[in-house]
Amino acid sequence: MKPKVAIFDLTDCEGCEVQIVNSKFIDRILAGVEFVHFRLGQRVNRWDNFDVAFIEGAVITSHELELVKKIREHSKLVIALGSCACFGGIAAITNFMDKEEAKRYVYGENADKIETLYIKPLPEIIKVDFMIRGCPIVPEDFERVVSDLFAGRIPREHTRPVCMDCKSKGNPCQLLKGVACAGPVAYGGCGAPCPSAGVPCDGCRGPLEDPQITAELELLKKIASKDDIIRLFRKFAPMAPIFKEIGGGKL
Amino acid sequence: MIYDEFVTQIEGHGRIYFEIKDGKVVEARLEIHEGSRLFESFLRGRRADEVPQMSSRICGVCPVPHNMAAIQALENAMGIEASEQVKMLRRFMLSSQMVQDHALHLYVLAAADYLNVNGVADVYAKYPEAVKRCIRIRTVGNRGIELVGGRAVHPVNSIPGGFAKLPTRADMEKIAKDFKSIMNDCIETFNLFASLKYPEFERATEYLAIDDGKHFPVYAGKLVTNKGLNAEAKDYRKHIKEEFKPYSNTKFCTINGHGFHVGAIARVNLFKDRLNPTAKELLKSSPIKFPSDNPFHNNLAQALEMVHYCEEAIKIAEELAVKLKDEERPKQTKAGTGVGVVEAPRGTLIHEYTVDNNGIVRDANLIIPTGMNTTNIEEDLYALLTANVNKPKEELKWLACQLFRAYDPCLSCSTH
Repeated sequence: MKPKVAIFDLTDCEGCEVQIVNSKFIDRILAGVEFVHFRLGQRVNRWDNFDVAFIEGAVITSHELELVKKIREHSKLVIALGSCACFGGIAAITNFMDKEEAKRYVYGENADKIETLYIKPLPEIIKVDFMIRGCPIVPEDFERVVSDLFAGRIPREHTRPVCMDCKSKGNPCQLLKGVACAGPVAYGGCGAPCPSAGVPCDGCRGPLEDPQITAELELLKKIASKDDIIRLFRKFAPMAPIFKEIGGGKL
Repeated sequence: MIYDEFVTQIEGHGRIYFEIKDGKVVEARLEIHEGSRLFESFLRGRRADEVPQMSSRICGVCPVPHNMAAIQALENAMGIEASEQVKMLRRFMLSSQMVQDHALHLYVLAAADYLNVNGVADVYAKYPEAVKRCIRIRTVGNRGIELVGGRAVHPVNSIPGGFAKLPTRADMEKIAKDFKSIMNDCIETFNLFASLKYPEFERATEYLAIDDGKHFPVYAGKLVTNKGLNAEAKDYRKHIKEEFKPYSNTKFCTINGHGFHVGAIARVNLFKDRLNPTAKELLKSSPIKFPSDNPFHNNLAQALEMVHYCEEAIKIAEELAVKLKDEERPKQTKAGTGVGVVEAPRGTLIHEYTVDNNGIVRDANLIIPTGMNTTNIEEDLYALLTANVNKPKEELKWLACQLFRAYDPCLSCSTH
């Protein structure tokens, strides 16, 4: 029997789902699983029990808050897909602002009709079995996790910083150039696309399990202003542990 | 009557609500429930050089146009003039995005409607060759974006003034060949979508796209319509009005109080004479003629554009394979306000930023294609339901969803 899979998207850009479509295994995935619930991909969707549910996006409305609890009840495994699900994502920058004022700037006098919750990462709301990080995820990570799951293995966490990806690509070090870069403390495995393109890593995959944050901050303070350090960590994974503290101004 | 689940096979979360009383449509509403991320708020206080990367997060389906509109707006604000080579590379990135994004919408989201199957997995089960064609097209489109932008989803390499790193002439030669290898797939896509049966429906409306006086719309230009609007992009607020409706998180746009249509159909209706030669030839043989006032024909216009933009990508890549050179990137010269306009797959996209003397963004305003289309979608819905009011309700529901989907809406973008 084909594994029963659900893919849900909350409020987000759907870029991680696009990366699933970009996977070189996409034809095998289309043929090899049963999509029980997949709003983006099909008309008829059911609330059967899912073997695996992928949840992409941030919980911004109370509807979404109820939805993720319902998904948890229906699913053997829940995988958080991308930095919005794992770490609140870019929209969680508003957690550090006056949210009412932020809404008023966009919606004026109608601001009170717009619901925007304090954005919590998915693991703070429901039990999450695994996280596929990144803004967006990289297809290779998705392929790795899916292969592991369907072979009955528990996927492994990466343990290396983005710096290792950079080294293997032969990229010049951004920090040595004097540019504020989150690479040494950021969770790697992405292939370092940002430094490879000549711009610093902004830690979209969140922190390593044991980041050398004191050393990183000491280094950053020599080359960047306090505001720039805050901006660096208050970006694509602003609610990730430690990033949240630095992004909140605790330097 | 409410279509009580979110509409499927579109980007983001929205519903259609309509009400029929005594055989008359009394209400037709587009309810967009996508959560509000408040981009315009949190982009304030960010450095100008990080904003294009952040803006691209508005949409993972069409990140390139957001990236490009932001860069153009910031350059206009800060008095930076990009070189002709940089603009060519930007048109190349946008063309690559158009090709891969249209393939996504046509094969993954819209095809199921016309083939009358449940979704993309069924399309694959029944028509594996078509899906493989889609994968081939998308792979090359992605490669094009990646080559110049550093990454296919959410480019990192493009910044105000130009690019952090340039591709090589050999890269451009290789990618030109890659695009040539999918030209036939694009043509077959057009032939497939030209052979489909579209719902019979017509409603004349105003079509808007950008015009740089030379190219089929893609990067920068004036705002023009078939009803005579011809305005500088920076004056967009004078012409395009945004209105809040309590049932929707996305604002509704109008020109002179009525809806207007942006997107592939608008571009083809307005500028079909500027299409590249192969696309122009195909259009001659097409059973469906443009300009068309049938919104479902937007899907055929997308297929036609795939051919055009594929040819455009080849043209630019071949030219740069010969003359690409290293250039110095121009720097910020002033503080100020600037507007950027590009064509996204779904239509005209406007970004506006104010940058202070320290290079920090102080104000942001974004108008997104699907936001521009909202009023027109409601007007179309009303007319379509009225024309079919005697049909069974399930059929009406489906027709309404299919119309909505034909616009290739992006609700995350529109709410942002």
